[in-house]
Parts: sequence; C-alpha cells; structure tokens
Amino acid sequence: MACEIIQTVFIISVITGFLALLLVIAEALFVNYGECRIKINGKKELVVQGGGSLLSTLNDNKIFLASACGGRGSCGFCKCTISSGAGPLLPTEKPFLSEKEISDGVRLSCQVKVKQDLSIKIPEEIFNIRKFRAEVAKITDLTYDIKELTLKLVEPGTISFKAGQYVQLESPAYEKSRQSVQRAYSISSNPYQDDMIQLIIRRVPEGICTTYVFDYLKEGDKINFTGPFGDFFIRETEADMLFIAGGSGKAPIKSMIEFLDKIGSRRRMVYLFGARSTKDLYYTELFREYEKKLTNFSYVPVLSQPSEECEWKGRCGYIPPFIPEFLRDPVNTEAYLCGSPGMIDAVKKALLELGVPDNKIYFDSFA
Amino acid sequence: MKETPQELKIHNNMKKGMISVTGFLGDDERHYHEIIADDKKNLEKIGLSADKIADRLEYFSRKAFPVYDGTTIIDEIYQVEYRSYRGRIMCPFGHGGGYRKGEITLVNLQNNARLCWTPLNEHMIRTHCFFEGVGSNHRLDPEIIKKALF
Ligand SMILES: Cc1cc2nc3c(=O)[nH]c(=O)nc-3n(C[C@H](O)[C@H](O)[C@H](O)COP(=O)(O)OP(=O)(O)OC[C@H]3O[C@@H](n4cnc5c(N)ncnc54)[C@H](O)[C@@H]3O)c2cc1C
Ligand code: FES
Ligand SMILES: [Zn+2]
Repeated sequence: MACEIIQTVFIISVITGFLALLLVIAEALFVNYGECRIKINGKKELVVQGGGSLLSTLNDNKIFLASACGGRGSCGFCKCTISSGAGPLLPTEKPFLSEKEISDGVRLSCQVKVKQDLSIKIPEEIFNIRKFRAEVAKITDLTYDIKELTLKLVEPGTISFKAGQYVQLESPAYEKSRQSVQRAYSISSNPYQDDMIQLIIRRVPEGICTTYVFDYLKEGDKINFTGPFGDFFIRETEADMLFIAGGSGKAPIKSMIEFLDKIGSRRRMVYLFGARSTKDLYYTELFREYEKKLTNFSYVPVLSQPSEECEWKGRCGYIPPFIPEFLRDPVNTEAYLCGSPGMIDAVKKALLELGVPDNKIYFDSFA
Repeated sequence: MKETPQELKIHNNMKKGMISVTGFLGDDERHYHEIIADDKKNLEKIGLSADKIADRLEYFSRKAFPVYDGTTIIDEIYQVEYRSYRGRIMCPFGHGGGYRKGEITLVNLQNNARLCWTPLNEHMIRTHCFFEGVGSNHRLDPEIIKKALF
C-alpha cells in the first residue's frame, strides 16, 4: 500500500514537473507581449518590448532603480509604486512590504513582469542615477580587514551625489562566482570631488563581492557601478549632530564631515566611533585634523576590547553608555548612524531612551 | 529523479559561486532532497525536531545580537559571539525576504562543543529542514547541534 502511494506521488510529481517545464518553454518561445507603454510619474512615457521584468526594462532604458540582488527578489531595494497594469502581488514580494505599502500599490519591480501597459511612480532623484565605468586608481589597506578603494570615473566623467549616499558596485563573474553580483557601498569621499569616488570595504568571510575586492581586484582594473542611491544624507537644519559609526560604517560619515567642512558648517557635531581594539581604528589623524578645522566638532573613538599591551587611554566599552555625555539637547539632536546591524539596533534603542525623536535618527534601511 | 524547473533552480542556487562563494552542498554528491531526507532520519534518531533546533539557535542569536563588538556568556555555559554584517543574502529555495549576513559562533564551555551558523541557517532549518551538504562550510550536523546546544 505505502509503496503504491509513493509510486503514485512520484508519477504525479514527474507529470506536474514536465507540464511546468513545458509551460516555461512555451512562454519563452511563443508568448509575445508585444509593445507595452510605461507611463512614469504621469509625464514621461516609454515604449518597450513586453516580457521582461519592470526592473530590467527600466534599466534598459537607463532608469536605474536600486538593486542589491540582481533582481532575485532578495534585497527589497527595487520598490516602486504601480498604479495600474502590475498584476497580483507575488508571495516573493510580501516579506518586503508593509501593509501601508501594499495598499499604496508599492511593488518590487524585479518581480513584476511587463505584460501590458503600466503606470508607475518613482522619485525624481532616480533620474539622476547613472551607470558608471571607473578605473581603480588606488587600493589602500586601512586595517587588516578594511580597504579603501579610489575609483576614477571614466564614463560618465562626473557624478552628483549627496554626502551619505551609496552606490551599487558590480563584482563581475570570477573564479569564485559564476555570475556578476551587485553590492551596496556608501561613498566615503565628498560630493565636491565629482570626478572620483572612494569606498571603504570591509571583508566579509567568504563573501562574493568582498572576496573579489580583497583578493582579485587590482589598481588599474576597470569596474562598473550604478548610483547614487539612498536617503541617508544630512538634513539641512541647525540641530546638533551626533554621528555614530563602527567598522566600515565610517564611509558615509566621512563623506558627511568632509562636506560639512567644505561648506564651513558651524553646527555642533560629535562623532563616536566604536571599534574592538586599536587595530580596528583608522583615519584617526584625519578626524583629529577635522577637530582643528571645524569650529564645533569632536571625534571620540571608543574601544570595546582594547588589548592590554596597547595602553589605550581613551574610552573603553560599548558606545551607548557614553552617549549622554555628548547629548546636549536630545529633542534638538539629529543622530546619523552607520555600522553593523547589531550596533545600529543597540544605539537606536539607547537614543530613543534618552529622548532623541525617532524621526531624527537616520541610518540606511536594509543595511 | 526528474526535477521540476523550480527544483532545478533551487539546485542551481545551491552550487558554489551562485548565491554564495562556497555554496550550500559542499562536496556532498547527494541531491538536496536526499540530504534533507537523511537529516530528517538523523533528527528522529537523536529525538529533536527542526523547529526545536531553530528555536534554540534563534534563542542564542537574539541574545547575542545586541553585544555587537564582542563575546557574551549566555546561561553561564554558552560563550557566544555574533558578527553581523551589512546587507542581506537570499534563501536558495527562492524565498522572498533576505536574511541578515553574519556569523554566530557558540562554544559550550562545559563540553567544548563548537557551532558556527548564520541567520540564513536558522531559516533553512526551520522552513526547509535543510542543514546543508556535508563539506559545506556552513553544514550544521544535527549530532553536533545536540552536543552543543541541548
Ligand atoms: C545601503 C548599504 C550600504 C552598505 N555600505 C557598505 C560599506 O560602505 N562598506 C561595506 O563594507 N559594506 C557595505 N554594505 C554591505 C555590502 O553591501 C555587502 O552586503 C557586503 O560587503 C557583503 O557582500 P559579499 O558579496 O562579500 O557577501 P555575500 O556573499 O553576499 O554574503 C556572505 C554572507 O552570506 C552568508 N552565507 C554565505 N554562504 C552561506 C551558506 N552556505 N550558508 C549560510 N549562510 C551563508 C554568511 O552570513 C556570509 O557572511 C552596505 C550594505 C547596504 C545595504
Ligand atoms: S532587485 Fe532585489 S528585490 Fe528586487
Ligand atoms: Zn527559504
């Protein structure tokens, strides 16, 4: 009896599998969605060949929505609002969307196939996003597991971005990765240097892109990226600013501080940088220089595990207990956070408890 | 066995250099279905369920997550370190929703059993009863899990 059931289940699986395969092949070979129109923000209209994902179709037309997973539905970056023509919401999209987003028609553009005319809404900044080709001008070791990349732009030759934004770096297919992947990296240089960008990349053990950057990428190589993306940037107010970062999280904060220096900002700024030990510290001299240059800026490294030999004279422990010392007026403070998710979580909790308003705590979501 | 297109896609996702550098199968030549079936038998033998294991892994990762720059001792005998990285990785079974990149290392100080896993492992164990192939860097052997966590 059991044997018969297994046999029947097996036969049904094979038939279903075969039919599904036929369907996929038939769709690829015979279904032609023809020309479709994509209306963007009620103004611009694209005439495209149907059949591709909305994300790739827009990309083909030089409109770059963010994507960190190459359209596999795993990063949740490629959201856009679709008012008509999208078809039903897929189970792959649901985990990324809030109830509100679902009711507003927000979708993952990589999961939506262009099968008919569509009407979509995307932020105007998206039109500033470009695909860049750059030359690796310099690779600098900042610590044992953090490198700085200097990328000189080749085509287009200049970039316009806000301090704090990120780009999607493309790591090509190589010995250890069968396909090219895109990963997000915050820009660490300032927007006034518009013919190059710098990135600070921390090695992730066995990571596809970081292994490429650490073990394969060389000075002189060409590399592609798209950008700029993200809404992590300085708010133009007079509020006190508290920057808190750890690890590679120094990148967007460095860009912000360089920018604030360039515009001669007199806002009160404190930068708390958390690391394990002295071997995880970098750019210390640079930020000491900014303490002299900026009228109202202090840089405070905090070590969680300073080794005994290093005779560390600075603050020891985790960042949260040191925050009150630097918080003058919590309600009138903006906090800019960047670092590991664990750090963001702990610091955000502490800031809320100290009375910093939730809507004044900024960090890259999905990071 | 003939694979459906969906299964083919999953199998492909698990190979080296697709979603991750080292892949999910190691040098295991079994099909992922067989790996799952064999591990289900292993679980029966040791009297644990995938849910129970996932609960336990999540218990430790939740407690260690806020201690982001060092190790912590949990329940007096577990030394745990959670290194979280920015970004998310997808499940090879094609689920929507990425899983946090990171590594949780646990040492049972009573018997020195050591375990290293990622948030994706927690999901794959609970939802797919998938412990990865033998030889995969992230393979979690149910026997070792039992020794380290229960
Ligand atoms: C907005 C944003 C900005 C960012 N900015 C920066 C930045 O400025 N600097 C920076 O360094 N990073 C930054 N990141 C992170 C960066 O985008 C990448 O996620 C990171 O560098 C890792 O990429 P990778 O390709 O090397 O790792 P991946 O290969 O994508 O992932 C490796 C991880 O996947 C998991 N994994 C792999 N294989 C398995 C397996 N078999 N079983 C279970 N789990 C497995 C492990 O957790 C492992 O650590 C940013 C991310 C975001 C979202
Ligand atoms: S591109 Fe990653 S979810 Fe759509
Ligand atoms: Zn899954």
